[in-house]
Amino acid sequence: MIDYIIKLRRKSRSIFTDRWVWRMAWRDARHNFSRLFLFVASLITGIAAVVALDSLNHSLQQDIDNQARELLGADLVVDGDYPYDAAQQKAFDTLDIEQASQVSAASMVLFLHNQQSRLIRMVAMEGEFPFYGKIETLPDDAYELMKQGGYAMLDETLASQYSVSSGDSLKLGEKVFKVAGVVTKIAGGGGLMSTFTPSVYISMQDLKATNLIQFGSRVDYRYFYKVGSETRVAEIVDALAADFRSEGYSFETVERRKEGLGRGFRSIYQFFSLLAFVALILGCIGVASSVHIYAREKRDEVAVLRCIGSSGWQAFNIYFIQIFVLGLIGSVVGAFVGLGIQQVIPLFIHNLIPFEMSFTVSWKSLLMGISVGSVVAILFSMLPLVSVRFVPPLSVLRSDYTAQRVFSKTRLLAIVLIAAFPIAFATWQTRSLVTGSIFFLGLVTALCILTLVAIILLWLVRRYFPHNAPFIWRHALASLFRPNNQTRALMVSIGLGAFVISTLTIVEKSMLSQVEFTGRENQSNTILFDIQPSQREGVIDLIKDHDLPVHQLVPIVTCRIAELNGRPSHELQQDTTDNVSNWAVRREYRVTYRDSLHHSEKLIEGDIHHTSDGRDSIWVTISEGMVDNLDVKIGDSIVFDVQGVLVKAFIGGIREVDWPKDPPNFIFVFPTGVLEYAPQIYVVSTRVDDQEAASRFQRALVMDFPNVSLLDLRLILTTVNDLFDKLGLIVRFLALFSIITGLIVLAGSVINSKFLRIKENILLRTIGARTSQITNITLIEYAWLGLFAAATGMVLSLGGGWLLMKFFFEITFAFDWVELLVITAGVVILTMIIGWWNSRDVISTPPLQILRKET
Amino acid sequence: MSKVVLQAENLSKVYKSADKELVVLDHISFCVEQGQAISIIGPSGSGKTTLLGLCAGLDTASSGTISLMGFKLDAMGEDDRAYLRNQYVGFVFQNFQLLSTLTALENVMVPLELRGEKNVSRKAEELLARVGLADRIQHYPTQLSGGEQQRVAMARAFITDPRILFADEPTGNLDEENAEHVTELLFNLNKEQGTTLVLVTHNLELAQRTQRILKMRGGRLTDDSGQQLSVIRSNVTK
Repeated sequence: MIDYIIKLRRKSRSIFTDRWVWRMAWRDARHNFSRLFLFVASLITGIAAVVALDSLNHSLQQDIDNQARELLGADLVVDGDYPYDAAQQKAFDTLDIEQASQVSAASMVLFLHNQQSRLIRMVAMEGEFPFYGKIETLPDDAYELMKQGGYAMLDETLASQYSVSSGDSLKLGEKVFKVAGVVTKIAGGGGLMSTFTPSVYISMQDLKATNLIQFGSRVDYRYFYKVGSETRVAEIVDALAADFRSEGYSFETVERRKEGLGRGFRSIYQFFSLLAFVALILGCIGVASSVHIYAREKRDEVAVLRCIGSSGWQAFNIYFIQIFVLGLIGSVVGAFVGLGIQQVIPLFIHNLIPFEMSFTVSWKSLLMGISVGSVVAILFSMLPLVSVRFVPPLSVLRSDYTAQRVFSKTRLLAIVLIAAFPIAFATWQTRSLVTGSIFFLGLVTALCILTLVAIILLWLVRRYFPHNAPFIWRHALASLFRPNNQTRALMVSIGLGAFVISTLTIVEKSMLSQVEFTGRENQSNTILFDIQPSQREGVIDLIKDHDLPVHQLVPIVTCRIAELNGRPSHELQQDTTDNVSNWAVRREYRVTYRDSLHHSEKLIEGDIHHTSDGRDSIWVTISEGMVDNLDVKIGDSIVFDVQGVLVKAFIGGIREVDWPKDPPNFIFVFPTGVLEYAPQIYVVSTRVDDQEAASRFQRALVMDFPNVSLLDLRLILTTVNDLFDKLGLIVRFLALFSIITGLIVLAGSVINSKFLRIKENILLRTIGARTSQITNITLIEYAWLGLFAAATGMVLSLGGGWLLMKFFFEITFAFDWVELLVITAGVVILTMIIGWWNSRDVISTPPLQILRKET
Repeated sequence: MSKVVLQAENLSKVYKSADKELVVLDHISFCVEQGQAISIIGPSGSGKTTLLGLCAGLDTASSGTISLMGFKLDAMGEDDRAYLRNQYVGFVFQNFQLLSTLTALENVMVPLELRGEKNVSRKAEELLARVGLADRIQHYPTQLSGGEQQRVAMARAFITDPRILFADEPTGNLDEENAEHVTELLFNLNKEQGTTLVLVTHNLELAQRTQRILKMRGGRLTDDSGQQLSVIRSNVTK
């Protein structure tokens, strides 16, 4: 008989009103802060990366906005390949605005004090440029001295490279100048530009005396205007730009410069964002992984609490409060660490950008970092913490008891939000849903492929298991398939880190390989250009006198496109609906003529036609890459304006060109018998292996043929190497975030599987395994794990790198096996060290002690 | 007639794995009256602990019903059962199951705090003094011996003045002296507070100190020293 009639009056209390959960959260946390170290560390690294890069971006944008006018030096700049004609000059003269101008061209400079020479950009200046900002020189009066005539200034990098100081002499073309000083800051200069082609500045009045501007020389004419108001700039551009553009001039305004710089840096920022995104996602994995470990450790205590009457939500809230508070602390610390790092990054990149970077602190980024950190802490701990709600109280009696999986709305919501978070974050960071989605898809694809490769590798090991291998090796390998093992998750997280590093190496190697051809035998490494027809024989004799080979002697004719398939170029430029790129129609082409393919070329479509007499149609070949830009196919017609003479030609063949291989290479190649009488210059390529011979030859060339320029491809290789040293440093510095977070994830995963390892090791030690044997088993297991993970990352990076090279950088894919193997070895060693470090107490403690702990 | 605090009727528990069923409890029926002390004994794997877990609402039966304090457990949700335990049930486990991050005092206070009661430390201190640990209240479980830990666990179990106390091998991890001390405490507190005691044990000596012994084998109740099973069944169906 049932005598009790009691109504249950259970009241649900929210997290805010239930004091008990706060009290329990504090009591429990007093002893658990160290256990949540991995959680906080993951969060700090992830958030630090995001804040550092976001703050850097804000700082860069601010600097661009503040310095755009100083960077341009004027309100309006008109740029073209020819000087103004009388009408064009008149159009600007009537505006009554202040004007300055520059003429620049590639040229050789000879430093008389040490007889060394190199290719530079000669800049002849006239007028009171710059109108905004100022040219900073050492000594201060160098610019004033230069303007007087007879003096030259040079970029700081060039001066230090060739040990040039004020008072030394240099020869430009046919004129000798005294060095007035070095330029430390100039509008439009500095940054990467000065790394590749450093400039020498002279006064316009000295230009004629150099005799550098000759027929066929590539000369750039720039006109600077001080207008005053932005409205007037817009009016002038509206009134004149269309006519000037049809003549091949471009207009640059402060607004456009801001946009251009912004666009340029957006690409860099997006790259940085990608690194930050990877670091944050790894941080998220770290958070989820560490909270998973924590929740697992708390399982027994939760079961006790459930036994004595705590509800599932109460148990959940205890740990949620701990995670939230620690997450907030971690986010704040991470955000401040990020700000600290942001102050360091400019030290790495200040040489690569054309303006001064300020060390500003972006409070917006700081707040963003704290908010994102808190969201990450809550979101990514939700899934493992939800499991706390469903810990069966029966597990106090049976520790191995597992309840049936319960459907949970909270769990479902957490999964949906976790899936949405990377898209939302990437979209917000890149300010574009498309880019954000691409980031997300890229990540998902990478994770899927990593998982797939991991599964295949594990399957292969299982399929071809070395049954005859020694015990230790077999046992270590078999450990990878331990039930509930984290092998796949570990391989994915470590593999992702290896993937990032390997991909960066492949990008670097591919870019370097574009210029490394100079190392190959029988390839040209020195190009002489701007050779006038009258100088042709003399230059060849000079080459032969220095016992150097003449690899190529190529005539070059400059021309423009006047019509494409019957449509005039100006009409094509105005048409916004066609697929023809305006720049491709507007640009000047340097073409050559020959009846055969160069060894850097392959005919992939059509034929090479020969023109036998003047009445035949002219069939030219075009490089593959230009086909899309001009939207042409075999048989299409192009009318070329060859310095005033219109020449109608048809596309006869399409060539695949290996551009870096034995330059020069060409977009259009005419047949012989068409351009022989057109005004032309020559390019000669040769190979010089010895630095001393190269210096001797360059000196002689500058003395005998001052207008002929020489491009030393070995110098470019050195420059690109230097550039990559600088870029590589910053990229590796940022990739470090991903790697550190990856290592935290690894440590977390190792700890996660520690419980299983403990039991196995106890058994092995009980039945007589020595410490050294267990240590070896552990090390070998982690070596396998690291090897599989690194191999997975490497395989993926080869694929990813190939895609990047093919579709993004559009250069030839290259990689170095040795570098990739070094990375693989590094990952393996790191994995072994971390694995061993986390397992060392399990390895070295007597079995009874552990057995006691376990019970 | 005495009040029935626990009543099991046709209780079965079956664990299903891929292609076979494991019957752990097979149609068990019995009832326990208020203030009674019963023990459940049987060989390993006979289903004792499973039966205890079901009776305390730590798990649900595959079939049959259990009423605890008049509440049908199988009709209640997990959180309601937890609340019921907090209101009426105490536990003592073989492995003590103290919260390692809490001091002895805090461990004892937890059940009352869960109820939302205030100023509970005095009662907890009194109980700890009652079990002989007045000078150990600020110690953490790792700083206490096994016997001391079990006494803290008993103080925690009795602080809510439970109507029924479930004990799973309470002396299983203790040496003889400590086992004796804990057993004395258990029965004294049971007597003083009028608590119903359900004890699972291998220890026949301990079992014989209870008023009634339920013997189990292969998931079935094979003997009930205190009451004829048929009588219980007829009472239940009335």
